[in-house]
Amino acid sequence: MARIWQVLTSGMSKYIIVRLLQIVLVLYLYMTLVFIILEAQPGDITDIYVGNPKITPEAREAIIKQLGLDKPLHERYLNYLKNFVTGHLGCSFKWGNIREVPDPVCREQRPTWDLIKERLPRTVLLFLTYTIISFYIGFFLGKLIAWRRGAIIEYFSTVVGVVLFTVFTPWFALLLVWIFAVNLGIVPIGGFINPDNWRVVERVGTVSRDMGVSLSNVVFNYILMWLGGLTLVWGVIYLVSQRFPYAWQRRVARWGSVCIGLLAMGAFFGGAWPGSADQAVIASETRFNFFLWQLEFPAGTIPLFPLALDFVQHMILPILTLTLISFAGTMLLMRNTMLETMREDYVMAAKAKGLPDQVVRDKHAARNALLPVVTSLIFAIAFSVDGGVFTETIFSWPGMGKLLLESAIEQDYPVAIGTLVFTGIFALVAHLIADILYAFLDPRIRYD
Amino acid sequence: MTTSTSYPVLQVEHLTMHYTTRKGVVKAVEDVSFSLNKGEALGLVGESGCGKTSVALTILRLLPENAQFLGGHVYFFRDGSDEAHVRRALGKPVKILLNGREHQGRLLEVNRAQLVLETQLNGRSQQIKLGRSDITHLGVDLTALSDEEMRPIRWKGISMIFQAAMNSLNPVYKVGDQLIEAIQTHMPLSLPEARERVAQLFQLVGLDRQLMDRYPHEYSGGMKQRAVIAMALACDPDIIIADEPTTALDVIVQDKILREMRQIQKKLNMSMIYISHDIAVIAEVADRVGVMYAGSLVEFGPSEPIFKSPIHPYTKALMSAFPSIKGEKVKLTALPGEPPDLIKPPSGCRFHPRCPYATEICEREVPQFIEHKPNQYAACWNPLT
Amino acid sequence: MQRARVTFEPTQALWRVRLQLLWRGLKSTWAMFAESKIGLTGLGIIIFFILLWMLWPIYPWLMERLAWTPEELEAARNAPYGAISSIYQVYDPVTGYDPLIPLEENREGNILPPSRRHPLGTDQYGRDILAQLMASTGSEFTLGVLAALITVFIGTCIGAITAYYGGFVDTFFMRLADVFILFPLVSFLIVLGSMMELTLLKLALILGILFGFGQITIILKSQALAIKVKPYIEAAKVAGGGHFHVIFRHIIPNMLPLSFLYMMFNVTSAIFSEAALSFFGLLPGARTTWGIMIDSAHSGGYILGGRSFEYWWLWVPPGVAITLLCSAFYLVGRGLDEVVNPRLRKR
Ligand SMILES: Nc1ncnc2c1ncn2[C@@H]1O[C@H](COP(=O)(O)OP(=O)(O)OP(=O)(O)O)[C@@H](O)[C@H]1O
Ligand code: SF4
Ligand SMILES: [Mg+2]
Repeated sequence: MARIWQVLTSGMSKYIIVRLLQIVLVLYLYMTLVFIILEAQPGDITDIYVGNPKITPEAREAIIKQLGLDKPLHERYLNYLKNFVTGHLGCSFKWGNIREVPDPVCREQRPTWDLIKERLPRTVLLFLTYTIISFYIGFFLGKLIAWRRGAIIEYFSTVVGVVLFTVFTPWFALLLVWIFAVNLGIVPIGGFINPDNWRVVERVGTVSRDMGVSLSNVVFNYILMWLGGLTLVWGVIYLVSQRFPYAWQRRVARWGSVCIGLLAMGAFFGGAWPGSADQAVIASETRFNFFLWQLEFPAGTIPLFPLALDFVQHMILPILTLTLISFAGTMLLMRNTMLETMREDYVMAAKAKGLPDQVVRDKHAARNALLPVVTSLIFAIAFSVDGGVFTETIFSWPGMGKLLLESAIEQDYPVAIGTLVFTGIFALVAHLIADILYAFLDPRIRYD
Repeated sequence: MTTSTSYPVLQVEHLTMHYTTRKGVVKAVEDVSFSLNKGEALGLVGESGCGKTSVALTILRLLPENAQFLGGHVYFFRDGSDEAHVRRALGKPVKILLNGREHQGRLLEVNRAQLVLETQLNGRSQQIKLGRSDITHLGVDLTALSDEEMRPIRWKGISMIFQAAMNSLNPVYKVGDQLIEAIQTHMPLSLPEARERVAQLFQLVGLDRQLMDRYPHEYSGGMKQRAVIAMALACDPDIIIADEPTTALDVIVQDKILREMRQIQKKLNMSMIYISHDIAVIAEVADRVGVMYAGSLVEFGPSEPIFKSPIHPYTKALMSAFPSIKGEKVKLTALPGEPPDLIKPPSGCRFHPRCPYATEICEREVPQFIEHKPNQYAACWNPLT
Repeated sequence: MQRARVTFEPTQALWRVRLQLLWRGLKSTWAMFAESKIGLTGLGIIIFFILLWMLWPIYPWLMERLAWTPEELEAARNAPYGAISSIYQVYDPVTGYDPLIPLEENREGNILPPSRRHPLGTDQYGRDILAQLMASTGSEFTLGVLAALITVFIGTCIGAITAYYGGFVDTFFMRLADVFILFPLVSFLIVLGSMMELTLLKLALILGILFGFGQITIILKSQALAIKVKPYIEAAKVAGGGHFHVIFRHIIPNMLPLSFLYMMFNVTSAIFSEAALSFFGLLPGARTTWGIMIDSAHSGGYILGGRSFEYWWLWVPPGVAITLLCSAFYLVGRGLDEVVNPRLRKR
C-alpha cells in the first residue's frame, strides 16, 4: 500500500497525465492515418454494391447518405472524427437490430458499438488467459534455460522456440484442431458454446435472433467479472502481504486467498440458480454432457456451472494453440535478458550473500530480467485483437477478430472500420497500462 | 591458547586458477599462498589486472563459468564450539591447532563426543583421538565443500565488498530489504528485529536510518558505498574481503570511508582482506601486506618492514610509483614497460622484462617464495637487502 | 594503404583498398557468423529455397525426362479431356491439369496422392503441388526482401536524421513511431484488402512503409545516437562536412550492419503477413502463394473434413514451407545478432 502511495506521489500522476495527452495525440494521428489511407482508395466503397442486385440504387444512395459520402472531404473528415468522439461508430449493414428499443440512429440496423460491446469481452477473456499462461510458461522456461546453460538444451530450445515463434499461425491452429478435435475428439472443433447444451434453455422476455445468445452473454459476463474481481483482490492481497514480517505469513496470505477465491467462485457457479422471468429458465429436467460427466438439474433453475464449463471447454483448444505459438517468444526473450542480468554484479553479490540458488535465480536474476519481458507481454495484449483474427476465425470464436474479418469480407464497412479504429484504441490503452505497470516494476524510472 | 592473539582465520595455500577465453588461457592466479590472522587487516596490492579480484573470488568460490579451479586449499578457521562448522568439516581436509601445533588431515566422527583426525606424519598415517572440546581452532578446506555446504560460509563466515560496489545493489529492491535478506538467510531474526539490526548497521556506517526504505538509485555514490559496507557487516562475518571499496569515490570521501572502515574493523575485531591497486591506501589500513604481480604473490609480510625495506624489486617499484601517504618524500618513478600478458606470461620470474635487477637466471627459473627476513616472504633471485 | 600507393594509381588504389577492406570485413564477419550453428541452419534453409526457386523453370522439363514414360506422354497428348500440347501445361501452378488423372484411380475430385509424376501429389483441381510450391517461392522471396528493403531504407534514413537533428524532427518521428508500433497491422490489411485489389507489389510497399516508420526507427535511432558521439563524426564535421555528407557518408554506413540485421527479422514479418492475407483470400492479385494453397485446401474442406489427414499433402507442404522460410530468416537474424551485438557474444 505504501508502495502505491509512494509511486503515485513521486510524479506518477503527473506522468500519467502527460502520457494520456500523448496518447490522445497518438490516437488522433492514428485515426487521421486510417482516414487518409482509406480515402486514398479509388472510387468509394459503395462502388462494390453497383453490381449487387439486392441493393437498389436508392438503397445505395441511402448508404452514401448514411456514411456521409456525398459531402466534401474536409466535412467527411470532421464527421469521421466526431463519430468517434461521440462514441457512435456507425451502423452495421449486415446485422439487424436485436433490441426492443432500437438505436435512434441505426433503427433497423445494429450499431457497431453494440457489436463491439458484445464481442470485446470474449476476446479479452480468451487472450488475457492465454497471454498470462504463455507468459508464465515462457518466463519460467527461459529462466531455467539461461540458468543452467548447456549447448544441447540451448540449441534445442532455440530451434524449437524459433519454429514455434515463426510458425504460420492459421496453419498451426488447423493442425492442432485436426489432432485434438478431429482425431482425438477431446475438445470441440470450434465455436463459443455448444448449442445442444443451451437449447434446453427456453428464452423468456427479451427478443433475440439466436436462441440462448443473451443467456450466454449473461453467464459469460459472470465468468469475466469473477476472474477480473479475483485478480484485483489477489493483487491487493499480494501487495499488502509484502509487509508481513515472516515468510510463512506471506505464504499463508497468498495461497490462502487464492484457495478461498477459487472456492468462492466454485460455490457461485456450482449452485443451481433460480431463474428469473426476464432471464431464462430451464424448461424441463435437463441433462448436460461434459467430458465424462452427466449432470442433472432440477426444472426451473439456471445451472451456471455446466454452462460456464461449456465456455471453458471451448476455450481449451484456442488457448493451447495460442500458448504454444507465443510462449516461445517470451522464452527466447527471457533467456536473452536473463543471460545479461546474470552477468550483473548484484547477481554475484546475491550469490556471495549465501542466498539459496533458487532465491538468487528468481529474486535477483529473473526479477530484473522481467522488465523487458513485461513490455513484450503488454505488446502481446495490445495486439491480441489484431492477432485474434487468425485464431478466432479458425476456432470460430465470435470475438473482435472474427467480427473484423467477417465484416471486411462481407463488406460491412462501418463495422470493419469501427472495429479497426477500436482495435487501435485498445492497443493504445494497453500501452498506457504497460507504462504504468512498468513504473511499478522498475523504481529507477522517475518521471519528472 | 586463546591468549595468543594471532591465530589464523584463513589460510590460503597454493591457490591456482585460470580463465579459458577465446584467445587462450588467462593464468590469473598462480600458486598464491598467504594467511590471515584474527583481527588483522591484510592488504593485497598490485597493478590492475594482476589477479587480486580473482583471488578473492576463488576464496569465496564465486567464479564465473569460464574459470577453472586448478588446485590449492583455502582453510577457513572457526571455533570448535561451532557445531555446524565441525559438522561440515567431517570427512573433509582440515587443519587443527592443538597445543599450539598445527595438524593437518581428515576429520572423522567416532561418536557424539569423540572425533578422530587422520594425519600423515613422517610418511605414516596416524590417528589422533580428539574430544569435541579439544578442538579450539578448526580450519576446513573450502575448496572441498559442496555448494550447499559453502552457502552458510558466504556472508556469515566471509563477506565481501565488491569492486564495483555500487553495482552490487539490486536496483529494483529497497536497500534495507537487501540487507534484511542477507540477515534473514543467516540469522533467526524476525522482520522487525532484522530491520532494527539494519538500522544499527546504518548508524554504524554513518547513514540515516530513513534511507533503509529508499531505492539504490536514490543514493549518492558515497551513500551506496556505505550501504554496501553495512551489507558486508550485516551478518557479523569473521572475515570481510574489501575489493577496492573506494575507487569510485573522490579522494576526500575515499579517505573518510577508509578511516571509518578501519575503525569499525578494529572495534568489532574482525579480520579483513583489503584489496587495492593503490599502495598508499594499503599503507594506511593494512597490518600485513601481500604484493601481487601477474597472478602470483611476490612479497608478503608485515607492512612496516615491507614499506621500509622491500625485498622484491617490484614492491620497491610500486612504492616509488605512488607518493607516500605518510609524508615521506619519495621520488616518483613510473614503472617502465607494460603489465604482462597473462595468457603468455614471461618465463622464469614474471617480472624479469621490467626488472632493473634481473639477471640471467631470472629468465630461466621461477624463484621460490621463501622467507628472506623474519616473517617477510618474497619470490626473487636477487632480493634487495 | 602505403603499399597500394606504390603499385597503383591513387584513385584505383583507393578503390582497391576499399574493396580489400570490405572483403576482409566480410571474411571476419563470416567467420563469426559461421560459429553460430543457429545462423548456419537458417542460411541452409534459405539456400534450399533459393535452389527450389531456381529449379522451378526447368521443373516440367525435368519431370518430362525423369517421371513420364513415352506412353504416358502420348496418352496425355491424346487425352479425351484436357489434352495437352506441352508438358508445361501440366505443371502450370494456376491452370495446370494432369489429363491422366481421370484415367487413374483417384479418390475425390482430382486429388492425387504423391506419386511418380507428382512428387507431392495434386490438389482438388489436379494441379501439381510441388509446382505450386516452387512457383510461389519466388514471390515470397521478392515480397519479403522488397518489403524489408523498404523498411530498412526508411528506418535507417529516419533513424539517422532524427538522431542527427534531434529537436522537433525527433519528437515528430518518435510520436509517429508510437502510432506505427501499435498499428493493428493484420486488421488494417484485412480491411484494406477488402476495399482494394492488393497486388504483391503494393503489399510489399505498404508493409515496408508500415514497418519502416515503427519500431525499427527507434532501434536504429538509438544506434545512430551512439554513432553520432563517436570522434570520427566530430572529425568529419570539423573537416567541413555538410549535414548531408555527415549523415550519408559517416553515420549511415556505420548503421548498416544493424540495419541488415533487422532486415532479416522484417523479411519474416512480411512473408508472414502475406501468407495470412492470402490465407483469408484477401490477396486476389497474387497468382499462387503458399497462403492461397492452404486456404484452398481449407475452403475445399480438405483439412477439417472427417478424413482430413488423408489429404495431408494439400496443406502440410505449404504450411511447412512458410514456417521454414520465416524461421530461416529469423535464425539468420539471430546468428547475425551475435555478430553485430558484442554483448551476446560468448567470450
Ligand atoms: N571472467 C573472466 N574471463 C576471462 N578473463 C578474466 C575474467 N575475469 C578476469 N579476467 C582476467 O584475469 C586477470 C585478472 O583479473 P582480476 O579482475 O582478478 O584483476 P584485478 O587485479 O582485480 O584488477 P583490477 O585492479 O583492475 O580490478 C585479468 O587479466 C583479466 O583480464
Ligand atoms: S627474480 Fe630477478 S627478475 Fe624477478 S624480481 Fe627478482 S631480480 Fe627481478
Ligand atoms: Mg579487481
